[in-house]
Amino acid sequence: MTLTEILFYTFSAVLIVAAVGVITARNPVHAALFLVLAFCNSAVLWLLMEAEFLAIVLVLVYVGAVMVLFLFVVMMLDINIAQMREGFTRYAPLGIIVALLVIAEIASVVWVKRLGLEEAAPAVFAAGPDYSNTRALGELLYSKYLYPFELAAMLLLLAIVAAITLTMRRRRGAKQQDVAAQVAVRPQDRVRLVKMQPEK
Amino acid sequence: MSPEFAASWLGDSWPQWLQATVLYGVIAVVLFISIILMMAFLTLIERRVIGSIQARIGPNRVGFNGIGQPFADVLKLLVKEIIIPANASKLLFIVAPLLALVPALCTWAVVPFAPGFTIADVNAGLLYILALTSAGVYGVILAGWSANSKYAFLGAMRAAAQMVAYEIAMGFALVGVVMAAGSLNLGEIIEAQRGGPLSYFFWWLIPLFVVYFISGIAETNRAPFDVVEGESEIVAGFHVEYSGMAFAVFFVAEYVNMILISALTSIFFFGGWLSPFEGYPLPSWLAWLGAPSFIWLFVKVWFFLFCFLWFRATFPRYRYDQIMRLGWKVFIPVTLVWIFVEGLLWYFKIGPWAGA
Amino acid sequence: MKTPASFFKTFFLTELLVGLFVTFRQFAFRPNVTVQYPEEKTPQSPRYRGLHAQRRYPNGQERCIACKLCEAVCPALAITIESDVSADGTRRTTRYDIDLFKCIYCGYCEEACPVDAIVLTRIHEYHMENRGENIFTKDKLLAIGDRYEAMIAADKAADARYR
Repeated sequence: MTLTEILFYTFSAVLIVAAVGVITARNPVHAALFLVLAFCNSAVLWLLMEAEFLAIVLVLVYVGAVMVLFLFVVMMLDINIAQMREGFTRYAPLGIIVALLVIAEIASVVWVKRLGLEEAAPAVFAAGPDYSNTRALGELLYSKYLYPFELAAMLLLLAIVAAITLTMRRRRGAKQQDVAAQVAVRPQDRVRLVKMQPEK
Repeated sequence: MSPEFAASWLGDSWPQWLQATVLYGVIAVVLFISIILMMAFLTLIERRVIGSIQARIGPNRVGFNGIGQPFADVLKLLVKEIIIPANASKLLFIVAPLLALVPALCTWAVVPFAPGFTIADVNAGLLYILALTSAGVYGVILAGWSANSKYAFLGAMRAAAQMVAYEIAMGFALVGVVMAAGSLNLGEIIEAQRGGPLSYFFWWLIPLFVVYFISGIAETNRAPFDVVEGESEIVAGFHVEYSGMAFAVFFVAEYVNMILISALTSIFFFGGWLSPFEGYPLPSWLAWLGAPSFIWLFVKVWFFLFCFLWFRATFPRYRYDQIMRLGWKVFIPVTLVWIFVEGLLWYFKIGPWAGA
Repeated sequence: MKTPASFFKTFFLTELLVGLFVTFRQFAFRPNVTVQYPEEKTPQSPRYRGLHAQRRYPNGQERCIACKLCEAVCPALAITIESDVSADGTRRTTRYDIDLFKCIYCGYCEEACPVDAIVLTRIHEYHMENRGENIFTKDKLLAIGDRYEAMIAADKAADARYR
């Protein structure tokens, strides 16, 4: 067994344990932290496959930003576990069907190998040490896949705008500061110097 | 850092992997000790500088002129008891300080200290730094949550929101640097700034520099962005419940992050180890001043560290909503606009892009 | 943004730079004002209200006549006095205790005293190591008075013009 294989099996084992932890942990914060661990391990697996850019972006985006906000919300929840378990048996059949579907999809991808990876980048694994997959990814994203890429970006923007319009409401009577007005204020606007006649 | 370098030191009799392990091990330990020492004296210098700005002297009793103060502090913290609060999440409570410190130290692996001296000369160095600095927030969040204290929890919430907000501005500012350098490798970013102080990225990327450095201050939770600790509101924020060495580890992480942000600012915008006298005629006995070396990085890092202290002594703490406003509504638009401007400059071949 | 000037002010951080200049001026060009305490001391007024003392007349007779005015005026109830007729037939205290933990060093006892017996000296560096030592008895107060009589007398003389 080579060093790479030992590393692969170690990190895969931790990844699987963490993934099981995500769905079995009682405490939602612990579950979220298991998810972080799972992300870190899959990033390492990607590193082993020489996909540095994807690995680092996974850590940067999911571990660094998404999961932080996730924890932010989860920590403030006060979840009643008994209440959550109520619907467990009722929704179990649906859950099993979805799980089976996902397994079937993954299996089809893994076994049939119809990802098209071999055709898209046949030179990746033969590339020398100078090969930068950041550059290769950028070239593909901004030339061949520019349109879908921009479309995905627009979709995300739409989601942000929609979320903001759904949740933002102007409350009546709420006081808000106008920073521009504060910055633009002059001493004359705030203080009036009055000249008074001295009394006797 | 090449394996040949190790071979010349250790001889050919050792197997290659052992040579590499020993070499990197030694370098890592030396680097760790020097950064910790630098951090220790930074605490002393901070107290002296802020003291001087406030017309005080600061600690000057331990050793000659207070030189021994950091060691006295460490000794004090070492012998103090580490209290774990009742109902705290024990494991997370103990792991949290390490989660804050480890990313801060790991980041140094890709920082170029001198021409040709980087521990790991990786291509995506800048992304690696962004990823690790963003992972540092977990220490703060978990410390706040696991302590089972509302003050700590409020501090953690603030930290989470603030660090995520400023990471984006920071990332965008670095996009501008990457556009100017054409590489994600820190060594190549420095090389791109060769040709005297006028060719530093600072001149063309001033808005990005300002955004990056201020975001860096916010990212390290230093004054004026230290609502995470905000003594007047939430006691000491996320680390209220920590004592002794557990607290000290947070302290170390904060200062190591400060040094890191200073080093990165000088690398991205001020040419890192490049000499500011490069390209100017110097008398022959001063020729070494023009050569790129570690000294210049050191000087630049200390300048920015001084700025950290200077800002802390000058500006009052921001209010929380103002911090959010600055991050989301000022910095991100500013960086976006400047990236666009940079794109135009690049397209019309103006400034540093004239020859590109 | 009302005016281009205010826009300028905001985006070029001019106000912040002015602030930075002020602090840097102090850092680089102005002296520190710290007094290095045990070696250097700030000047004290002769009216300084520190540790208590009881004085004697030059002939060695204690001044206190047990009038209990100080006990009455003390806002912190720190003074406890018991009196009796002494061997020479005069009215004297048998007990004169000041609880230094209760005392707020207001100096009313000194003001109230008709014979200048109880005074507050300018001694402010003293400590206790055990419980109970905070009660200063008559003997202790007299001992302090004997030891620092020269200083107390000089302070009283310096302040006499203004009383």
